[in-house]
Amino acid sequence: MSLSEAADRPAVRTLVVDDHPIWRDAAARTLTEGGYLVVGTAGNGAQAVRVATATLPDVILLDLNLPDLPGADVTRQLLVALPSARVLILSASGERQDVLDAVTAGASGYLLKSAEPAELIDAVRSTAAGHAVFTPGLAGLVLGEYRRLAQTGHGGRQASEWQPGQPVTPQLTERETEVLRLVATGLTYPQIAERLTLSPRTVQNHVQNTLSKLQLHNKAQLVRYALEQGVKLD
Amino acid sequence: MAGQVSRARTGCPGARRQDENISRTVTGRTGPNQRQRRTVTGVLSRMWRVVNVFRVITLGYAALLILRSFTHYAHPLAGLIALVVMIAWSALTIAAYSRQSGRRPWLIGIDLALSVALILSTRWIDTVHRINTGSPTIPGIWSCSAVLACAVAGGPWWGLGGALVVSGADLGERLGTLSQTTFTNIVLVLIAGGVGGYIIRLGLQAEAAVDRAARSEAALTERDRIARSIHDSVLQVLALVSSRGRELGGEAAELGRLAAEQESALRALVSGASTEPDADTGQIDVCALIETLADRQVTVACPATPVRLPAPAARAVGSAALAALDNVRRHAGDGAHAWVLVEDDGSSVRVAVRDDGLGFEDGRLTAAAAKGRLGVSHSIIGRLREVGGTASVTSAPGKGTEVDLRVPQ
Repeated sequence: MSLSEAADRPAVRTLVVDDHPIWRDAAARTLTEGGYLVVGTAGNGAQAVRVATATLPDVILLDLNLPDLPGADVTRQLLVALPSARVLILSASGERQDVLDAVTAGASGYLLKSAEPAELIDAVRSTAAGHAVFTPGLAGLVLGEYRRLAQTGHGGRQASEWQPGQPVTPQLTERETEVLRLVATGLTYPQIAERLTLSPRTVQNHVQNTLSKLQLHNKAQLVRYALEQGVKLD
Repeated sequence: MAGQVSRARTGCPGARRQDENISRTVTGRTGPNQRQRRTVTGVLSRMWRVVNVFRVITLGYAALLILRSFTHYAHPLAGLIALVVMIAWSALTIAAYSRQSGRRPWLIGIDLALSVALILSTRWIDTVHRINTGSPTIPGIWSCSAVLACAVAGGPWWGLGGALVVSGADLGERLGTLSQTTFTNIVLVLIAGGVGGYIIRLGLQAEAAVDRAARSEAALTERDRIARSIHDSVLQVLALVSSRGRELGGEAAELGRLAAEQESALRALVSGASTEPDADTGQIDVCALIETLADRQVTVACPATPVRLPAPAARAVGSAALAALDNVRRHAGDGAHAWVLVEDDGSSVRVAVRDDGLGFEDGRLTAAAAKGRLGVSHSIIGRLREVGGTASVTSAPGKGTEVDLRVPQ
């Protein structure tokens, strides 16, 4: 972000959620140096939701390994409390299932904590702009999740149980698969655009779509589950 | 997988209970002096219940025999008194043996002594004629209860000892004349004492083994949980040192580089699913194998769920990927980065290895193979062919290299 741009627009408001004070301070410093406003920090999931409601951040940097709640649950609660916010996952261990759970729960992207400060700053900018932040690792996870859904049928249900009106398992188009595979093998969006003779924006949209479909499916599953539970309670 | 492990943070609630049970010692050699045993439940209690049930059944049988023939005894009233004594003693021992505190060696000793006394009293209560024509002793098979009590309390040798005492009494009652029936009875008593004791010892040992296994499993789960939390903290610090170090430059950058190396090594270790074949299916998770290849220059992307292949195919894919990465290190130039993607499309497993290095003319591989330098052709393509898979290598100068490995499932 150039200086003139930064001056034109209000700074992006960020919230850092991590139970390790050293990391929390380091991340906050990196963000401040990068020109972002750190409006708050939190050390656990419950606190994160409270602070987010009070400080209205645009981007929430969320550590997956919080002491009180799984990362996916914190993500969900944060987005319920503050639907306009975007959650960027930062994880030290990169546990694949934890990362996938958080991303399908609505997080906009994921970075390993070993990422360079410049990468973090870039990632927050993309996240604030509404773009998904895909590492090769995350692309591999998303590809794998679509394959798993395709193999288990309708979100893990037997095909025979399917009824009209139920959401169908999300599928990747051929182009989306192609793009995701290239992201997973380390190509940048401009490189992918060049190789597939697309515009970088189109590549970005394809990537974004793969994540949105997965998140929508996840949300639909949750809503259906809630409805089923509700019906039983009547 | 790892994700599920992370959710199992509640630990093992059964662990503590098993810890309390385990203090039970399991050896027949300590003899009936097992007051220290803290047996509350489990195999031993059930064994004592068996002794009690056996006592009730044999008491019924003895009562039947006595009531049928006491009129023929030399001292019928004494016969009935003996029955009353047996009933009273049965009630007392059943009550005592039901509780751990009641299983005292001296009580078992009295139990055995009373059986002997009752057997020998047959000599006086019954008539010589009846005894000589093979009528049973007054307590009959009821005396076996004391032998079983010895066996349960002390194992095979104590069981056998008790059996010898009762057999001796039997012989004494017959004044040494060994009829076929007496002989059979003695053999049965000895078997009951010895074998019974042995089986009980086996049962206790098996129980202890199960307890030990459950305890070590619980300990492992707990250690795993703690390790995950520690690893996370260590990874955080390493990540911090490496990124700050690189920013600061100079010596700090060197420290940062070292921290980064350790960080990726530790991350590979932590996420380390087993690279050994599954005991039931003989399959290996290809992701687990490939993840061990990740380091500063190599980024690995995998699905969240395991990608399983039969062990030989998985190992072939793993070593082919390793060979491809070796080529990157040797030929792609300094600073080249490589990415490995593992996919499972339902019908085949696909591993792609791409680098952003120097690349080479497409014809060079075939030329190298023709010249007898087997490097890539053999180590990558040959390995895959052996397990029914395919491999392709594409490259262009300045465009890096892409290796595509496929194995049908």
